[in-house]
Amino acid sequence: MAKNVLLVDDSSTMRKIISRSLRQAGLDFGEIYEAGDGQEALAVLEKETIDIVLSDINMPNMNGIEFLREKGNRPGIKDIPVFMISTETGEDIIGEAKSLGAVGALKKPFTPDKVNEVLGPLM
Amino acid sequence: MDVFNAMVFIEIAPEISGKGEGLAVETNLVSCIGLAGDLKGLVAIHCPAAVALDITGAMLGMDVEELGEDCKDAIGEIANMVAGGLKTALVSSARNVELAIPVTVIGSSFRMSGLVGANRVFVPFATPSGRFGVELKYVVA
Repeated sequence: MAKNVLLVDDSSTMRKIISRSLRQAGLDFGEIYEAGDGQEALAVLEKETIDIVLSDINMPNMNGIEFLREKGNRPGIKDIPVFMISTETGEDIIGEAKSLGAVGALKKPFTPDKVNEVLGPLM
Repeated sequence: MDVFNAMVFIEIAPEISGKGEGLAVETNLVSCIGLAGDLKGLVAIHCPAAVALDITGAMLGMDVEELGEDCKDAIGEIANMVAGGLKTALVSSARNVELAIPVTVIGSSFRMSGLVGANRVFVPFATPSGRFGVELKYVVA
């Protein structure tokens, strides 16, 4: 069954690029929802049926790490997998993200082939 | 170069880079990312309008005719990825750098100043629609 995806990034351009990359990668997904920061993402997760979240780290209002922490405190949504897509892929910050439940990370910039390679197994 | 090869799909070629305040390109849009930590300063992308419109259009996969929010967002994201690449490169030399959120300004006849005494590296790039520049200003903490 096709999975619904939530893209979380403060850049609307990057959300469009990720969305296009998912299509170009030929991955099987359903609806694509968008949020501009962690707060918006939490609201979407509480309202819609989301199967996987692709989230940036550096964002205003609520960044990706704060989003993971807050999501982990909410029983209804805490088990939805989150994959980080960010310019920040240092071991320290990705280690912190994974300790908060992130299932993996993809570094920007990326190609559709790379998206297929790392996200394919999750779709 | 990696950023453009993977996500922008416009051919660019680096020109002769330099240090000091002399080098510049005509700029109608500049996007800056502040650096803090072991390296303090900024990364900035300087674009004339035609180049900013072309880059934005290529990233979005559509024609862009107005130098507005889409351009600010797209060039800001390029600045973010360039600064992220710098941060990753510096990790190998045991330097920790924190990145701020991009700030982008559109206009004409303006100049950036600040960081007196900072080192400056400026790399112009040629594109089919003109030249843009990548600037790094820094002081080592």
